[in-house]
Amino acid sequence: MNKTLFFASLKANWKLLLGTFLVLAMYQSVIIGMYDPESIEAMNALIKAFPEGMMSAFGYNLPANDLTSHMGTYLYGFLMLLFPLMYVVPAGNNLMAKHVDRGSMAYLLGTPNTRIRIARTQAVFFVSSTLLLFVSVVLFGMLVSEALFPGELNYGDYLLLNLVTVSVYMVLCGIAFLASCVFNESRRSIMAGLGVPGLFLIFKMMSSASEQLDGLKYATLFSLIDVHGIFGHSGYALLTSGILIGAAVLLFILSIRIFDRRGLNI
Amino acid sequence: MIEIQQLTHVYPGGKGIFDLDFTLREGEVFGYLGPNGAGKTTTIRNIMGFVNAQKGRVMIRGLDCRRDTAAVQKFIGYLPGEIAFFDNMKGLEFLKFVGDMHNMTDTRLRDSLIERFELDASGSIRKMSKGMKQKLGIIAAFMHDPDVYILDEPTGGLDPFMQNVFMDLIKQEKARGKTIMFSSHIFEEVQRSCDRAGIIREGRLAAIEDVKSLNAMKSREFIVTLAAKKDVLNLLASGLETERLDEKKVLVRVARNFDDFIRTLSAFGVTNLDIRQRSLEDIFMNYYGKKGNGHE
Repeated sequence: MNKTLFFASLKANWKLLLGTFLVLAMYQSVIIGMYDPESIEAMNALIKAFPEGMMSAFGYNLPANDLTSHMGTYLYGFLMLLFPLMYVVPAGNNLMAKHVDRGSMAYLLGTPNTRIRIARTQAVFFVSSTLLLFVSVVLFGMLVSEALFPGELNYGDYLLLNLVTVSVYMVLCGIAFLASCVFNESRRSIMAGLGVPGLFLIFKMMSSASEQLDGLKYATLFSLIDVHGIFGHSGYALLTSGILIGAAVLLFILSIRIFDRRGLNI
Repeated sequence: MIEIQQLTHVYPGGKGIFDLDFTLREGEVFGYLGPNGAGKTTTIRNIMGFVNAQKGRVMIRGLDCRRDTAAVQKFIGYLPGEIAFFDNMKGLEFLKFVGDMHNMTDTRLRDSLIERFELDASGSIRKMSKGMKQKLGIIAAFMHDPDVYILDEPTGGLDPFMQNVFMDLIKQEKARGKTIMFSSHIFEEVQRSCDRAGIIREGRLAAIEDVKSLNAMKSREFIVTLAAKKDVLNLLASGLETERLDEKKVLVRVARNFDDFIRTLSAFGVTNLDIRQRSLEDIFMNYYGKKGNGHE
């Protein structure tokens, strides 16, 4: 780990991080604000009024009987899967591929720091900043829930849901970082870093929307963020997260190794 | 000091460097000369350990430049050929950043270099001109007082005055015993400041020579204009190395036999005498029997 580089990366990416947090915080406030224990029936009726496939594509197919399910349905069906990409994709590219593409990597490698140390520092920054984003979002969600509907949030389920979500995101970070370490051009690194989670999201929406396409759920990590499976089943959540985090660690190790060994046209 | 050993690095297009094999001595200024695309930057990328050569290696002080990068970079000052920084930073902020990455604690040298190059480092890098960015790169390469400098086209973007400031800096560092390698496509620059020069073309080392002995070897060319046609013929037949340019002009190449030249001329009616300076490049290329078009 190199502190100097860590803080330079923070300085280069904090606006992106803050912007993403604000977008997520805004959606959280709106969705939590929409929860109305009195009119759950009306809400469910409204959903039924839309074509079933369309609503379930966005994950809005659960009868949301309480605040936690309400958030699980309306936030973690789509919004919380999509918007963190706003940070993860560009930041992943900024940390490695952009420096190679622009040539500024030459200044990093021209200092007495091994490539492994440079890449490891960037990886640590990437993981810790993404974790910071999720922790902030989770805390903010709790804060808003307590402010608007005191005592309604089921902390256990809420935390398990977020644990699985953040673990999926660790893998997505690993993919974005791998792309950033492998490619010489920002264009390609972004295409891969955005393309893979983009496909995951499309597969998830298609598999939820149509019975025939149900099999696509096996082709996307996002189907692991399954509110039915997670709520009340800490075993499933912990096991899934453990496997995902293991996969993420492997992706980061692979990325750093590839970056250490490959030729860089800088 | 810097040993380039059978270095071969071929790009998919077939360009690259082939079997480069030469050594830089401790304390010398080595000019690495060649046209754009000849392989100068590729050689430097290998010295810096950025790329993997297909064959051969570069060693500095017994360290392998590709494997022992962090150890090697401790005593290298590197100026990249392409100017690219962290454009979200201000000039001084960038220098602080690179200094910290070098674990540099003494900032006096940095500040004196900023003053020397008259750089206003307070502004954002994004808004700097090409020349300012080049100065910033030079300061970043020199400020941690390394023993070895690897400089890729260091004078690019500098105005003539700043080129002189830079050349003085090179002289000063040489006097302090530093080893300096810089690439260039401008011959005069190398002629002025280097002990030895290597010429690379199409990825192969065409020549490697002492600049001083080349300067000594340098012959003069005189363009003699004569009044009478008869004299022209006599001069051509005089035994000097001559070449007829037109009706009344003859080119005479003189190396050491200035006496002969003057005595011969005294017999003729000379209406004009011009000296034509031959560039070191001509000599270099004549010497090695290659046609030179390396000057851009």
